[in-house]
Amino acid sequence: MNKIFAVAKWEYLEKVKTKTFIISLILTPAIIIGFALAPTFLSGQSENSTKAIGIIDTSGLFINGVKDGLETYRIKNNQPAYILINLTSQTQDQNELKSSADSAVISGQLDGYLLINYGGTDSVSVEYLSKNIGNYKDINNFDNTFNKVQLEIKLNEENINPQIAKYLSEKTEIKPKIIDGKGKESKPDFLTVFFTSFIFIILLMMMILSSGGMLIRNLVEEKSNRLIEILVSSCSPNQLLTGKVLGLSSLGLTQVIIWGAIGFALAGTSTIPDNAFNNIIPILIYFVLGFVFYTAIFVGIGSIVTTEQEAQQITSYLSLTLVLPIAISVPAIEHPDSLFVHVLSYIPFTIPSIMILRFNIETIPFSEILVTLIIMVVSIYLAIVGSSKIFRIGILSYGKRPSIKELINWIRE
Amino acid sequence: MLKVENLTKEFKGVTAVKDLSFSVEQGKIFGLLGPNGAGKTTTIRTIINVIKPTTGKIYFDDKPLTESFFNQVGYLPEERGLYKKSKVVDVILYLAEIKGMTIPDAKNKAQSWLRKFEIEHYRNKKIEELSKGNQQKVQFISAIIHEPKLLILDEPFSGFDPINQQFIKELILSLAKSGKIIILSTHQMETAERLCTDILLINKGLEICSGLLPNVKKTFGSNLIKIEYSGDGSFLNSLPEVKHIDNYSNYAEIQLEDNIYPHDFLRKIVPVIDIKYFSVIEPSLNKIFIDLIKQSPN
Repeated sequence: MNKIFAVAKWEYLEKVKTKTFIISLILTPAIIIGFALAPTFLSGQSENSTKAIGIIDTSGLFINGVKDGLETYRIKNNQPAYILINLTSQTQDQNELKSSADSAVISGQLDGYLLINYGGTDSVSVEYLSKNIGNYKDINNFDNTFNKVQLEIKLNEENINPQIAKYLSEKTEIKPKIIDGKGKESKPDFLTVFFTSFIFIILLMMMILSSGGMLIRNLVEEKSNRLIEILVSSCSPNQLLTGKVLGLSSLGLTQVIIWGAIGFALAGTSTIPDNAFNNIIPILIYFVLGFVFYTAIFVGIGSIVTTEQEAQQITSYLSLTLVLPIAISVPAIEHPDSLFVHVLSYIPFTIPSIMILRFNIETIPFSEILVTLIIMVVSIYLAIVGSSKIFRIGILSYGKRPSIKELINWIRE
Repeated sequence: MLKVENLTKEFKGVTAVKDLSFSVEQGKIFGLLGPNGAGKTTTIRTIINVIKPTTGKIYFDDKPLTESFFNQVGYLPEERGLYKKSKVVDVILYLAEIKGMTIPDAKNKAQSWLRKFEIEHYRNKKIEELSKGNQQKVQFISAIIHEPKLLILDEPFSGFDPINQQFIKELILSLAKSGKIIILSTHQMETAERLCTDILLINKGLEICSGLLPNVKKTFGSNLIKIEYSGDGSFLNSLPEVKHIDNYSNYAEIQLEDNIYPHDFLRKIVPVIDIKYFSVIEPSLNKIFIDLIKQSPN
């Protein structure tokens, strides 16, 4: 036991002092906060100024309604969001109007313009032309306003009671909410899912890759200078392996605690929504289990490589299994109940990231949590047993990398 | 006492060591000799419990090897190397700690060994900043700091300059004197000849010869003596003890019959002629090594 502790302490202290560790400790949250702030910063900027929007409506039917509708939108300080400029003129035809509007957009006088093509009641089309595809919020506002105006005009033509007309043109929005096991309701929004799930998955991935890479490089060093022989003549391979896994896990935990402290400090500010920590405990449990599972696998695999190059190769293969959950996360958010997501919820390699993701988008039945936790714990046990068998032989074999067949024999021995 | 009985180790059908038996007593320096690939490292690895023998038994103080044995063995592998990026003192303390030493004890011992090896001022330097010789010293300290009962040294002199080689030699002798069991594996026959009390010569995993060094020399010696004398030495040519003689006017090289001891022969001739110089010409271990390896079947 003392020897396990001595190995763990050594692995921890020697790595915590390295430049790589200190840099990743500071750089990772900085990058993530940067990522989180960038979109807010960009979209926030455009909302600070009123947009000049031209409008061409040769039919003259919609222009007033759209103008009044859009000018009710407000941004900060109660400034109007849009100023509508009528570009329609009776003396010019549509093509001439369009080309002069185009040049106004290009020269920057206008942010964009709306082109309403009216060819009789059943054929109306509206285009929004600007230098870029436009803010989705603006487009959404134009869309709502125009459709409302169009409906009002139609209802007016049919002589419907103005009150009924008003009622019909009102739109009711559906707000999605999650009910958890205790009947508590919470509102999911993209930011929460992004923050809690994505960031935890990315952190898990980065931590596994960086500490796994460190572990393999370290094993390669110990093998190449035969230190490993001194080590295994001092303690058993199992003690050595357990000590290494323990030391690295504490290293990972240190990272999580420091990052967690940064997260809590920023919670509630504009950077991190305060409900991002709602499911923090189950998420942390899956996080730690995932980390220990992958670390155990890295130890086994790390023991069979003999050169730095091989180590890099193997690290990149393993990282693929970690990237997979990130790649499928968007469809998983869209279809949390799909069979695919459910299947991945039972594979030890993907359980941690999929469960971290699912916690924020749905209420997971307790039985499922229990089953996945059992799968994780059993997998960790098997990974450690298998790895320690490979480790015992692998650390003393130099030169050629063993084949899969040989590895299976080692595990069976 | 370390006792190895009928040790055999096979790797994937290749026999690295076959039916090797030997024992080493306290206070002895045991030379494990053999050409490259003879099975020396495999034998050492089995003794330090790094690999399991295919068959055979190893006993230490009449007990089979258990985990407690780990703390009683010190090992200096042939290929040296330590954690390059770590501090000298940290590495020594870590390796001492996994040998079961307490930290305060390890700190004291580390300090006194660093002083003895005259590298005290490097204690807080990184390993990679030290010269190769000084790195070797650090590794040597790591092998002996926990006062192992059994010390296994694989080529302990390589990489040291003559002054440090002398220092290491004296250190090994004093460790043996203090009652440690020392196994010395080397290619330097001259060193082995000077330090070892017992030797085991192996080739291709098989024992070629073993025993106390003087006995080995006697077995393979050709019972050759050299004398310088004054007076009439012609009677030597016809003595029954003489197998072969090269006799010059006052100098002779004589090969004695196998059952004749050189000192008996000397006693016999002293009254007849005036002996100025007498010496038994022993074959060097180097010569025995080369002859035996050449003779041994492929």
